[in-house]
Amino acid sequence: MKRVETDVVIIGGGVTGAGTFRDCLIRGIPAVLVEKNDLASGTTGRNHGLLHSGARYAVKDSASAVECIGENRILKKIARHCIEDTGGLFVALDDDDPAYGDRLIVSCRSAGIACREIAHQEALRIEPNLNPRIVRAFTVPDATIDPFRLVSANVLDARERGGQVYTHTRVNQIMTGPEGVTGVQCQNRLTGETFEIRARVVVNASGVWGEKVCRAAGIEMKMFPSKGSLIIFDYRVNRVVVNACRMPADADIFVPGDTVSLIGTTSRKIAYEDIDIAEVDEEEIAVLLEGAERLVPNVSRTRLLRAYCGVRPLISLKKGEVDGRSISRGIVLVDHEMRDGLKGLISIAGGKLMTYRLMAEKTTDLICRKLDRTDTCTTSQLPLPGSETKGKLTTRRNQFKGISASVIGSTQYRHGERVHQILKSDRKHDGLICECEMVTAGEVEYALQHLNVEDIVDLRRRTRLGMGPCQGALCACRATSFFVELKKMSGEKANQMLVDFIEERWKGIKPILWGDALREAEFSYWIHQGLISKKKKLEKPDEV
Amino acid sequence: MRFDSIIIGGGIAGMTCAIRCAEKGLSCAVISSGMSALHFASGSIDLLGRFPSDSVVTNPFDQMPDFINHNPEHPYARCGEKAIADSLQYFTDQLQQQSLQLCNNGRQNHFHLTTYGTLTPTYLSQKSVYSPELEKAFFENQKMALISFEGFRDFHVPLISANLPGQTLFQNRQVTTGTVDLSPLIRSQKNPHEFRSIDISRMLETDEDLQKIADHINELAGDAGIIGLPACLGFIHHASVYEKLQRLVGRPVYEIPTLPPSILGMRLDHALKTRFSNLGGVFIAGDKVVRGEMQSGKLSGVYTENHGKTLLKAGSVVLASGSFFSGGLISDSAGIREPVFNLDLTYEKDRKQWARGLFFQPESHQFLEFGVKTNEQLNPFDSSGHLIDNLYCAGAILAGYNPIREGSGGGVAISTGYTAAEMIIGRTASTGAARP
Repeated sequence: MKRVETDVVIIGGGVTGAGTFRDCLIRGIPAVLVEKNDLASGTTGRNHGLLHSGARYAVKDSASAVECIGENRILKKIARHCIEDTGGLFVALDDDDPAYGDRLIVSCRSAGIACREIAHQEALRIEPNLNPRIVRAFTVPDATIDPFRLVSANVLDARERGGQVYTHTRVNQIMTGPEGVTGVQCQNRLTGETFEIRARVVVNASGVWGEKVCRAAGIEMKMFPSKGSLIIFDYRVNRVVVNACRMPADADIFVPGDTVSLIGTTSRKIAYEDIDIAEVDEEEIAVLLEGAERLVPNVSRTRLLRAYCGVRPLISLKKGEVDGRSISRGIVLVDHEMRDGLKGLISIAGGKLMTYRLMAEKTTDLICRKLDRTDTCTTSQLPLPGSETKGKLTTRRNQFKGISASVIGSTQYRHGERVHQILKSDRKHDGLICECEMVTAGEVEYALQHLNVEDIVDLRRRTRLGMGPCQGALCACRATSFFVELKKMSGEKANQMLVDFIEERWKGIKPILWGDALREAEFSYWIHQGLISKKKKLEKPDEV
Repeated sequence: MRFDSIIIGGGIAGMTCAIRCAEKGLSCAVISSGMSALHFASGSIDLLGRFPSDSVVTNPFDQMPDFINHNPEHPYARCGEKAIADSLQYFTDQLQQQSLQLCNNGRQNHFHLTTYGTLTPTYLSQKSVYSPELEKAFFENQKMALISFEGFRDFHVPLISANLPGQTLFQNRQVTTGTVDLSPLIRSQKNPHEFRSIDISRMLETDEDLQKIADHINELAGDAGIIGLPACLGFIHHASVYEKLQRLVGRPVYEIPTLPPSILGMRLDHALKTRFSNLGGVFIAGDKVVRGEMQSGKLSGVYTENHGKTLLKAGSVVLASGSFFSGGLISDSAGIREPVFNLDLTYEKDRKQWARGLFFQPESHQFLEFGVKTNEQLNPFDSSGHLIDNLYCAGAILAGYNPIREGSGGGVAISTGYTAAEMIIGRTASTGAARP
């Protein structure tokens, strides 16, 4: 059996795992990242993509608000190419409690969040699609952050510093000896190959799947999964993040992102055994659409692109907890040596997408203590790959002769300074493979070679290919060819990969299948079944 | 303005109907709101390709009586076997008039290669895709070449050649692959959306370029006996491009459909419109019918967006506005409607039943079978259930068939378009309304 030697194994390729992986490598600690599916394929990639200012939490949970604004400022510096500094608004309509705005101002001030009331006419000028029934408005430093880019950049940095990544690889067992954990036993889900990774510290950064990971070490750690659903609209109907100015509730945040806008979320308790099969239901769709129309009325005439849900990893601190009363919504770092007497195992959970760096810092500090090291954290200063240069990214487009501005813009938007490694102006590389999102053949090739891409679903997360209006109707076939050419994939595997990709897109389309979404689905069906004559293959069972 | 017949929709069903009416001397207008769905089609005409079990139908005409028997509400049942056969012959003859030659394999289906490198059964194909001569050359030559153009993103040789060995007809064949770089021949500045099948087609329509491209192809093809190329061998002048190219490379060449825009479909579209216009028909492009005017139970004409308050009067009207994709049917979260006449539809009220859990589920999706309910003469009913006997429906707007699962889209469009025309011709003759 193959054996890999390292100091730290991190289980989970979400943003927390990726951030911890990078922090370790920056501090010079050898580390390996293992992810059972793809990077950012779990909860990390299934939320608003909101870079909170903290204002949303200020009234109810001031500790979270302080955490948010601190990380907000840091990420705007180190992850510039993953962030759009849109700004945010809190808007109160005529039927909202007007007093909430006063509490918001006071709470934001004490948390150090710049929050200012503006005239409601001014809010309508900033955001013309807002409900004209608005009576009060407040600006806050909210922004948006792309979770896929963020994870990819963290992993890319760690790899360039010598870290190893195994995606589509499941941890079957956490190995222990008299001195505590000794490593993990893994299996590559694509090839079936099993291997061992020997390490002194194992970090469980697998979010809601952490309960299962702990079970693999013989430890009980209960999760209380909460499903959050969102709807994506096919147009960017708002410019800034729009929050409903009232106590946090369902469907109260409307976020612009790339070429789309999203409304979310809901919060529904689900059974732990359902975490891999959670779907958006009819009731949630109705609640989300109502909430969206309340903030931005014209979304009722906007095409729905898809609906999706994520499962929040709420964790119980107490052993033997059954009813979830001691659930923590903050960052939870568990040293299993203290909790369960198992040396070398750490769990990190809770928190938010945008507090990942802080979670990684706390985790890596604990790793250092376990390894008797004194290295300090520098991730708040070191920009991610792609975000190195200060100043506006858009100023250097004239460096690319013969390539259209929209292609340069989109590529730079996704990869920051790495655009220089991607764009080539020759016929083989500059053709558009995904026209909705302006992904060139060169970008596909770069992603396949440098960004841990094993299939089209992975490719979508790295490049946005297939995320636009056509949902992969045309680009999926084109992209498949690159896997045959560059990864030497067989025809049979390529067919299955294409089918899996289209089925993955279909999951998000099904709940909102009417109007233009139905038109598009009919077109896509013609293309795949008619023009391409893609015959159905059996879906492969989703393992956990 | 008054016409004997107004046809709503310029797709394959509407144009077949319009050509038949115009040829019989009826004054006829087609109102088309946008691009025909043919731009996205394979350009071959499917008649009946697959059994419900998904196995391939060898002889669609032999199967037809049984098929109609089992599916009495199917559009084919409205047309009947004879009209189906007549309509396909008629369609072939009409396109022949425009130098677009369609070939079949006698009464049997033949296979054509797809963009993905798989085979799919069909009934009529353009001469450059399937002909008895190509079939003969295909079986006589074990060595074949598969050639594309550098940077052409709608046709991928690696993908096709990876899939070919899995197709029975291509087992044990030697396939040479290659790409021709057209860069030296491109004169104008391109934007990233250019370099599609239509752009390449235009290059091949230039004799000087064609010669150079043929030389490249010849070199890359080595000693292959037959050459497969993406379907972009000319658009308007496809017939002469095809002949010249075969002469220049000295061996049979065949076209494989590309991703849209589909030149093969666009050729059909262009030929149909030209034929109609040559017959004196009026083609109103970029206009949309908004509603009909009823007079004592009959449709007296239609109003359009561009004509405003001017009623376009018609003896008969044909609704061939397509399904959801073309806007013939409109859905929202509450249900489905036909937007022009608010016709009575056949569809499942429970939205959860519209589609299957899996996109590629073998049973296919129910929404593809939704559409307008008609009587045996293809007349629809209004929302209160009253028959409108001078309105006819044809093509994808009809309920009761699944064009993709059955492999019947082109056949239904042509046969229902033709049958609607026959009904109109019949009634116009009996009322003496036809003009000389």
